[in-house]
Amino acid sequence: MAWQRVASISEIDADGVLGVDVDGSPVALYRLGNEVFATAGICTHALAILSDGFVEDGKIECPLHQGQFDIRSGKALCPPVTEDLRTYAVKLDGNDVCIDMERPAANAAPGPNAGDGIRAAAQENNADGRKSTGPNVQSQEWLTQRYVWPEEGLTRIPDWVYTDHTIYEREVEKIFHGRTWNYVALECEVPKAGDFIRSNVGPTPVVVVRADDGSINVFENRCSHRAAEFCRELSGNVKEFVCPYHQWSYDLQGNLAGVPFRRGVNGKGGMPADFDSSRHGLHQLNVKSHRGVVFASYARDMESFEDYLGPEVLKEFEATFDGRKPRLLGYYRHTLPGNWKLYHENLKDPYHATLLHTFLVTFGLLVAGNRSLMLADATGRHGVMASAKSERKSVSSDAKKEMRAYREGMSLAEPRFMDFVEEFDSPWSVTMATIWPNLIIQREMNTLGMRQIVPTGPHEFIMKWTMFGFEGDDEEMTRHRLRQGNLMGPAGFLGLEDNEAIKFVQDGMQHVPGGQHLVKLDPAVAAGTSESLISEASIRAMYRHWRVEMGL
Amino acid sequence: MDDSVLTRDHARAPAALDSRLEALLLHHEIESFNARYAQALDEQRLADWTEMFTDDARYVVLSRENFDRGLPVGLIYCESKRMIHDRAFALTETSMFAPRYLRHFIANLVVLGAEINGTVTSRANYIVLQVLFDRPDATLHQVGVYYDVFRREGGALKLAERRCVYDNLLVPNALCIPV
Repeated sequence: MAWQRVASISEIDADGVLGVDVDGSPVALYRLGNEVFATAGICTHALAILSDGFVEDGKIECPLHQGQFDIRSGKALCPPVTEDLRTYAVKLDGNDVCIDMERPAANAAPGPNAGDGIRAAAQENNADGRKSTGPNVQSQEWLTQRYVWPEEGLTRIPDWVYTDHTIYEREVEKIFHGRTWNYVALECEVPKAGDFIRSNVGPTPVVVVRADDGSINVFENRCSHRAAEFCRELSGNVKEFVCPYHQWSYDLQGNLAGVPFRRGVNGKGGMPADFDSSRHGLHQLNVKSHRGVVFASYARDMESFEDYLGPEVLKEFEATFDGRKPRLLGYYRHTLPGNWKLYHENLKDPYHATLLHTFLVTFGLLVAGNRSLMLADATGRHGVMASAKSERKSVSSDAKKEMRAYREGMSLAEPRFMDFVEEFDSPWSVTMATIWPNLIIQREMNTLGMRQIVPTGPHEFIMKWTMFGFEGDDEEMTRHRLRQGNLMGPAGFLGLEDNEAIKFVQDGMQHVPGGQHLVKLDPAVAAGTSESLISEASIRAMYRHWRVEMGL
Repeated sequence: MDDSVLTRDHARAPAALDSRLEALLLHHEIESFNARYAQALDEQRLADWTEMFTDDARYVVLSRENFDRGLPVGLIYCESKRMIHDRAFALTETSMFAPRYLRHFIANLVVLGAEINGTVTSRANYIVLQVLFDRPDATLHQVGVYYDVFRREGGALKLAERRCVYDNLLVPNALCIPV
C-alpha cells in the first residue's frame, strides 16, 4: 500500500477530468466541488481514454460510445458499459493529489476491485477478440499483456493486428480520428458553391461541401439532434442541409441554422430558453487542400500537410499533382473482405508485384531487376512504390527462371493500351503512394486514381476509387487513360488479383489461433526505404509507426 | 364490288402480319443470342464469348453512378474486339482468382429499334449470381441493364456495342468473369 503524488489539484478543472499516467497505468482524476476522485483511465467497454470524456452531475461519460460511470463509486450506469470502473483511494496533501493504486475509493462499487482475477480469467477463455463489448480493461499494462508483439520484433506480425475488434476500435480512435490527415475528395468533385459529395474519415461518414466563399468544409454526416445521417445523395448541389427527420437545418459551414418549434407552440414545449445554436452545429473537421486534393483531420492542431508527408513523399505527390487541374473521370467502388492495413502492405510489398501479376511481368511493365524504389518516409507511415518501365527484351533469363508467372510468346492483340505517354517530370513510369492512413495515389503510367480506404470492421473495408485525368487532356488522351484503366479496379488485370490475394490472407487467419506473419525480406534494411523490389522493409516501417500510434 | 378496295385490303393484311412476325422473330433471335451469350460466360468459354462481337465492337461495364452522371470510367473498357480478345486471353491465361461458378440471367428484353441496314438496338435486364467454394450460398454479384447495338454479319447477329450498367455500386471484391 503506497500513496503516491500524481498531480497538483490546480491541474484539475472544477467539475473536470484530468488524465495522468501512474507507473504505466492511465488514471483519471476528477474534481467534484472540493473533493477529488480517481478511477482507472480506460473505459471498461472499449479502449477509450476517459479523460477525453465529459463530466456531468458526478458522472463521467465515455467519449467513444457515451457510456457513463459514477465517478465516486465507479459504477457502470448505462449501456453500452456493463462493468464497473476500478476506483482508487485519494487523499489531498496540501495541493498535492495522492492516490493509492492498491486501495479502492471509500464508496467504491463492490464489483470491480474485488473480483478481478476471476473475470480476467473468464475473459481469457473468450480470447477470440471478436467480442463487441471490450474486455475488462484496467490499464495500459493490461493492454500490453493481452496484445503481445512477437519477441522477434518487426519481422513478425501477429494475426490479432488484422482480426481483433478491440484493436480495430482503437485504430478508429487513435489513427483515423487521431493525428492524421485523411483524404476525403478532389476539389474538382465540388467545383461550385453548394456542390457536395459524401465521403468518409475512417468509417465515419462525412460531407465535403464547397461554401459560398469558395472554402471547402468537411463535417460529420450526423445531425446534432438525433444523430440521423442526413445527407443521403452521393453528390449534388444544395443551398443548405436539412435533416429529413425533424428538419433541423445547417448552413454550408455546418452551423446550425434552424430548429423547428424552437420556442414551442402556444408558449408550451420547445427548447430550453438558454439553448445556444452556436454550440450545436455539425461536428466540423480540420480541412486542408493541397494541389486540388482535400484532406480532413479530427485533430485541431495538426502539423502542416507538407510536414505530415515529409519532403520525399511530398515530392512524389507533387510529381503526380504537378499543377494541372484534375478532371473527374468516374468511380469504382467495391468491398474487400480483408483488413484495411493489408491494402497498404500490398503496396509496400514490391516483391508480390513480380510474382502475383503475370500480366504485368509478361508484358514488360515490371520485372525483378527493373529500376525501382520502395520509399518510406521518416516515420514509416507513408510510402511510394516506384518503378520504371522496361522494354520486354530486357528480361534476363535468370529473372525469368525465378518468375513462375512469366510466359514466353504471349502477345496482346491491342498492345497500345499498355503505352506510356510521358507526361510527368519523374524518372518513374509507375508510382503507388501510400498516404497514411486512408489513401493510395495510383499513377500506373497514365491511369490515375485516388483509392480511398473506408474500413468497416477488422475483416472488411470499402474501397472507393476516384479516377481522374487533367484539364487539357484531349479526347484521345482521355480514352487512353480509360483503356489503361483495364489494368486497375475490381475488374482490372492487376486489381482483381490484389483483391483476391488480400481476401486469401484474411481467409487464412480465420481459424488459426495465435498465428503470425513472416516479413523478413531484405534484412540489410531494418525498416525503411529500400532500392530492392525483393524487400519487406517498408511493411516493417509501417508497423514500427503503427505500434507507436496504438501504444502496443 | 370495287376491285381496288379488295386489292388494297389483301395487300395490307399480309404486310401487317409480316411485320409482326418479323418483330417476333427478331425478338426471339435476340433472346436466343442472349441465352447463348449467358451460356458461354457461365461455362467460362471466353474465346467463344469474344466471337459474339463485331470487329469494331465496344464492350463496357460501368456503374449506374457513372452512367447517370455521364462519367466514362468502366470496370471493363474495351473499344474493339481486339481488346475484348485480350480481356478473354488475360483472364484465361494470366489472371489469378479463386475458382467460382457464375450464372447469368437475362430477361425483360425490349427491342428499341431495327434499321433497314440490319442494326438493332435493344435493352435487357441482367443478373449474375456467383458461387464461391467456401460458402453455401450463391450471392448476387451484379444486377443491371444491357444497352445493346446488334449488327448482322453473314446473316447472324453480333454485338456492335454492349454497355453493362450495374446498379449495385459496391462490387463484391472482384469481377473476374465478364457480365
